[in-house]
Amino acid sequence: MGTLLRIAWRNLWRGWRRSVVVLSALSIGLAACLVLVGWSHGWVRQMVDGAVSTRLALLAVHARGYQANPDVERTLGDGGRALAAALERFPGAAASPRALGDGLAQSARHSARVVLVGVLPEREARVSDVARAFVAGGFSEATPIGVARALPGVALGQALAESLKLRLGEKLVLHAPGESGLGAFRVAGVFRTSSPGFDRSYVFLRLEDAQRLLGLGDGVHEIAIALDDPRQLGALAAFARAELPVVRPGEALEILTWKEREPRLAAMLDLMANTAWVAYAMMFAGMAFGIANALLMSVYERIREFGVLRSLGLPAWRLVCLVLLESLLLTLGGALVGVVLGVSAVWFLGRVGVDLASFTGGLSQLGVGSTIYPRLETLDLVSPLGLALATALLAAAWPAWKAARLRPVEAVRHV
Amino acid sequence: MAETVLEARQVTKIYRAGAIETLALASVDLAIERGEFSALSGPSGSGKTTLLNLLGTLDRPTSGRIFVSGEDTTEMREAARAELRLRKLGFVFQAYNLVPVLSALENVEFVLLLQGAPAAERGARARQCLEALGLGELCDKRPNEMSGGQQQRVAIARAIASQPEIVLADEPTANLDSKTAEDLLDLMQRLNRERGVTFLFSTHDPRVMARARRVVRLVDGQIASDERRGE
Repeated sequence: MGTLLRIAWRNLWRGWRRSVVVLSALSIGLAACLVLVGWSHGWVRQMVDGAVSTRLALLAVHARGYQANPDVERTLGDGGRALAAALERFPGAAASPRALGDGLAQSARHSARVVLVGVLPEREARVSDVARAFVAGGFSEATPIGVARALPGVALGQALAESLKLRLGEKLVLHAPGESGLGAFRVAGVFRTSSPGFDRSYVFLRLEDAQRLLGLGDGVHEIAIALDDPRQLGALAAFARAELPVVRPGEALEILTWKEREPRLAAMLDLMANTAWVAYAMMFAGMAFGIANALLMSVYERIREFGVLRSLGLPAWRLVCLVLLESLLLTLGGALVGVVLGVSAVWFLGRVGVDLASFTGGLSQLGVGSTIYPRLETLDLVSPLGLALATALLAAAWPAWKAARLRPVEAVRHV
Repeated sequence: MAETVLEARQVTKIYRAGAIETLALASVDLAIERGEFSALSGPSGSGKTTLLNLLGTLDRPTSGRIFVSGEDTTEMREAARAELRLRKLGFVFQAYNLVPVLSALENVEFVLLLQGAPAAERGARARQCLEALGLGELCDKRPNEMSGGQQQRVAIARAIASQPEIVLADEPTANLDSKTAEDLLDLMQRLNRERGVTFLFSTHDPRVMARARRVVRLVDGQIASDERRGE
């Protein structure tokens, strides 16, 4: 095989122009595919990460039925403390109880429909990216300002603050359904996440304020859980399903991963993975014809040489191996160069980001910011190499068959 | 009695192209014995190359039988014939004999590789073979760096490296100038005399026929004469 490999390698350089053209076409095509796939992964992943790290959380515990009908009265008792403590026994897990409800935010002249999220700021900071997204203030600003000195603080998104014409320290009124659902607050923090939609509608207040406003008593609606290593989500879900009923035996619980809560988002991730396969498959299917053509030409040019080899006693199967090796070297070489080019391009774009400020109207509806950071998964690199292998074998099949079928007596006389 | 290396018995070859049939060989009987330095001669179209190809198991007769070292090759599968060629027959063609991407040494080594010789032995044997033929300085040269005569000499080295029963050479001097052709014939004659290598040529080159100790003349696919000469 060593000598055949050497012959195959040298044969490729014999017609180096043809080899370089095929290799370039393959590598540039694959690099373009990788950038496209990296781009798709980038924005879908940003969308998923944005949703998971703000409103969804990796895993959430609710009272049974809350997912289907998020009724304000479907609460978890005990402020969710026992459940949160039990969940944090899982290595690397952080839990934050949340009280949730629809409401109306009103400034001096403007109002907007909002989602009220009551949190314990120090716990929420370990679960949600909102704590790291503040452009001014925080969850609970310690120093009240001006006329709103005595009012409790809330944090809201920059887009919402702008639409309500509110600045840090200014007063707003929150309305929630129910008898006690009215309260005056001051803006203690303004955040800007990667999701413009989230920033337009979410208001964070302290848990006890939300409970009072929504009339929940000590109840909460959700325990949101984050993990140091998100790959442990399956294990965490299993742990939660086994442990929590023991902690709160009388409470009917609903334990859902983000994929179960937002199947459409999960489906988009799967769709993107499949799109990558389709893109690769189309690219390699096209390339297979180019490679087959190059190999076939190369076989036709060497009919006489093959005839001599066969006359000397080279078995047909070894001739097939030779053509296959040439195809493998060419295709895998092109795929490797393509992967290097593509990964480099995606790495660069992933670092600097691609700013689509002028086109983001559509993307913001999907919960993605204006800058896309392309990224690639390991499978994105493995699959094209696997497909390249398959393409090499497929593309070489016909030329190899042609070579194997040559009759030595005719081949040595071929002009 | 000398041992028969190659034998054709009642061999007929008909080429068919559509409805047209061409009789290339008609009931030819021929035996080549060990140590011969023989030539198949005749005008173009007389069937000499056809007979050489049949004897070399590169083609199959329409009827009749071909024996290599007493073994009937007529019904052999192609893989077995390839193996037989590898073990028992050496070939020298008119031109483009060598694998262009391999050096002279690698070309000779390649046949030994196909024969399954161990890697360490291959290189040494191939080098020894080239050096014995005075081609030591060509070892690392590729075919495109050699003259036509040098390439033919390397082809002969490759043909004998596998120690075949017989070397079949199809018009080996056709593309060479007189001096180079004479040198090549000297080399083959020397191998025949000193090492007992059996040669069978197909040729219409008078220089080759002049050197051959047996000249089988073919006309219209039949043996017209079979002349044996002394040294």
